[in-house]
Amino acid sequence: MNEHHKSTHDLEIERSQVEAAKADPAKFNVLYEKYYKPIFVFIYRRTHDEDLTADLTANTFLKGMLSLKKFEWKGVPFSALLFRIALNEINLHFRKTNRQQVVSLDSTNLGAMIAEAGEKDSEDTRKLLMLALGKLNREELHFIELRFFEKRAFAEVGQILNMTENNAKVRTYRILEKLKTILIRAGGR
Amino acid sequence: MSDYKFDLNPKEPSDEQITRHKDFNKVLQNYQKMTRPLYKTPLYKNPKVFLWLFLILLVIYLVVEFGGESPETPPNKSDSMNAKIDTLKP
Repeated sequence: MNEHHKSTHDLEIERSQVEAAKADPAKFNVLYEKYYKPIFVFIYRRTHDEDLTADLTANTFLKGMLSLKKFEWKGVPFSALLFRIALNEINLHFRKTNRQQVVSLDSTNLGAMIAEAGEKDSEDTRKLLMLALGKLNREELHFIELRFFEKRAFAEVGQILNMTENNAKVRTYRILEKLKTILIRAGGR
Repeated sequence: MSDYKFDLNPKEPSDEQITRHKDFNKVLQNYQKMTRPLYKTPLYKNPKVFLWLFLILLVIYLVVEFGGESPETPPNKSDSMNAKIDTLKP
């Protein structure tokens, strides 16, 4: 079970917290306390700017509160909605400012990704993989970040990117195939 | 140039850094400001509504003051005849 997984009992508790917040916005505090850190870290990994992260996190929670009235419980953790809003906020910011988006990579996960792509792990392959990642579009990169660098289950990747678990899986493997092709071409094989 | 800047093994923010920015009251205040019905907001606190109201009143004033006047109507024929008769009276 990964760190992002929630049991049925956890989901039931969260459902009551969401219902309470719908009736009284001040009770959103419980969800705010619960998800402030994960959302902050999620945004920080993509901006590397503390003040900007604080602003985008505040906007994320404000928009989360505003969308609460329309929110229908479908057994998906409320955090999925918050992560989705956070991703939109990040995209919006980088589109507006035209700055380079930061992508945080972890060397261990980079190795795991190379193994998943069926390639041999070496310093050269890592360099090539980073070059190949730079050729992906923003949406494709979201899949890779969520799946390989944040170790989220496909179900959660789907919830965040608003699609089914199966679709998330298919898209991720297609992107991996694309990366593999870029790696092979760049490696001159 | 790539749209991304790759950072290998970056440092994550500390708990202290994160909690420094945590302020639910501010978020709640912004939420209340955004969801408060228009009629509950005093006019002076809502410059947009104030400006619109001012413009509407200005237009009404201009229409009443200058737009309502019709061009001078020519004197009625029967009135002028009556006036002539009056002058002929001894």
